[in-house]
Amino acid sequence: MSINTPITAAVLARAKWAFSTRRVPHERACLLDGRLSNAVSGDLVLGRIQSLGSHKRIQLAQGRVSELYLDDLVVLGCGDRYASDQFEGIAEIDPRGADMLAGGGVIGRMRERNARMSAPTRITPLGLLCDADGAVINVADHALAPAPRPDGMTVVGVVGAAMNSGKTTAAAAFAHGLTRAGHEVAALKATGTGAFGDFNAYLDAGVRHVADFTDVGMIATYRQPLARIESGLDTLLADAAARGAEIAVVELADGVFQKETAALLRNLDVRSAFTGFVFAAPDALAAAGGCAALRGMGIEPAILTGMLSRSPLGVREAEEATGVRVITREALCDPAQANALMARMVAAARRPFAAVGGIGLAA
Amino acid sequence: MRTNAIQAPMHGPVTHDVVHRPGRGRGNLPCWLAMPRERDSAAEPLVAVHGILRRADDQATLLGERAAASGRVVVAPLFDERRWPRYQQVVRGKRADLALLALMADLRLAGTVATRRFELVGYSGGAQFAHRFAMLYPHLVSRLTVVSAGWYTFPDAAPFPYGLAPRPGRTGDWGPQLAAGLEQFLRIPITVCVGAEDTERDDNLRGGDAIEAQQGGNRVTRATRWVAALEAAARAHGISPSIELVALPDCGHDFRQCVRRGGLDRIALGEHRAG
Repeated sequence: MSINTPITAAVLARAKWAFSTRRVPHERACLLDGRLSNAVSGDLVLGRIQSLGSHKRIQLAQGRVSELYLDDLVVLGCGDRYASDQFEGIAEIDPRGADMLAGGGVIGRMRERNARMSAPTRITPLGLLCDADGAVINVADHALAPAPRPDGMTVVGVVGAAMNSGKTTAAAAFAHGLTRAGHEVAALKATGTGAFGDFNAYLDAGVRHVADFTDVGMIATYRQPLARIESGLDTLLADAAARGAEIAVVELADGVFQKETAALLRNLDVRSAFTGFVFAAPDALAAAGGCAALRGMGIEPAILTGMLSRSPLGVREAEEATGVRVITREALCDPAQANALMARMVAAARRPFAAVGGIGLAA
Repeated sequence: MRTNAIQAPMHGPVTHDVVHRPGRGRGNLPCWLAMPRERDSAAEPLVAVHGILRRADDQATLLGERAAASGRVVVAPLFDERRWPRYQQVVRGKRADLALLALMADLRLAGTVATRRFELVGYSGGAQFAHRFAMLYPHLVSRLTVVSAGWYTFPDAAPFPYGLAPRPGRTGDWGPQLAAGLEQFLRIPITVCVGAEDTERDDNLRGGDAIEAQQGGNRVTRATRWVAALEAAARAHGISPSIELVALPDCGHDFRQCVRRGGLDRIALGEHRAG
């Protein structure tokens, strides 16, 4: 007996497909599997908006946001979410109702939320989207083919104290400055939750290539095995190199204490992919704590940047506390200064545990 | 692009056109282009930077004919005196480096040039610009010819712009930014040319005790010392230097002389190295 029910193309065309599902061809979906409790991370879920909560808009696969209305049909990916400013949730679908964990298109079960957040938008899950053979469609089905890490690529890691410390701004600015200096640059996000904010910020930077972990089949990297995230990073780098990028600027989401980010940074094999690291912090204290944490892992940040760099007093405090230069977004956007920073990072990478130092704003 | 171009000196069939390209928008550099009639699209262009007399048209005209023989485009940007009084120092005042980057990006967009990298030659003030630009962006410059510079940024600990150290009291000065790319800069094949008779101390030659102690009293001495300093720096970095000093015979401080008597066009195009 079939447990799948047909679903028409007309119904699917009405649905709002989230950014996290963007690699899946819509025509593949033609059946609906009602066994929602079987859902795993990455499975596509068709749902109906039951009540509007925290997320009142959805990021569409087309790269724009869409207002959500009650009874809207949506296609999202089942996934986990780690966001200290928003929700923590896991990839589980309750048939009676599920939570919209991220505007980029993550559905699951909220476990905790920041006190400033209202309750999540609730979604009535209608089923898991399946293909003509009855196979549940997972974003991993349409991921880039795994590939080994390329040789000879210059890779800059951008890490930070927490969400909203300025990592994406720094990554986009550095990628932009290097592009203006004549380099072929890829801007990549290796960990996080599927959403187009950072992706679009990278596109706006004018780089040669942009991609994130959703391109390697993960709705979110929270609670994913380290080996899968590492393999995803290697594939993203290989794809970027195949598309002509010589330098990759790679953002790692959240703070350096976040479980997957910390595991990646502690892993020597992962670390060997990186030429150097930039640390974004909101203030001097976070900069000092972040530097200490990174140094505890054997990483010397090349520079500090982020929200901190907007405050001259904060800059002074951070430089005195850490001995690491603070660089503004404007300096990262400057091709000469971005190029010089890159050259220093490359040189420092040849001298393990050497500080980059001596980098600042040019007069 | 203006097509009523100045006439290139022709000794046979027309092989190229010298045309003026106006600046497009605020701050955009105009330039003169020597466009070969038969272009080798894979060949890197030669970017030729004028001296303080701002004769960019001369650069395109006098280097264009030989460049055309190998299908190469000559780009001669014009840094006019009003907007770019200190273009030689690249990063002082208005950013001449950004202007050249923008011009080259525009020319790629227009299909005038096809490669990101280019060969760079500069004469006198343009030679100052050329070597400092190449220090900032060594990955973009595949070959550098520095001709008759009045003075140089040395790879030493003198404060910028004489050396690569920061000026006193300046946090994050430009010297260390140039120093960051020094190793890659030293891997560029570099030819330093100076007229063999360019030993006069004219009004345009920067003087003073400090510069004369560091660089010498005339352009020949300064070129000689700079080449020696680059070679020493290269060896200190474990690099086998590809740096040469060429004295242009029977030449003073005159670009046309350097081309016509000294064979600067062959040198700028790298033909002298091929033998």
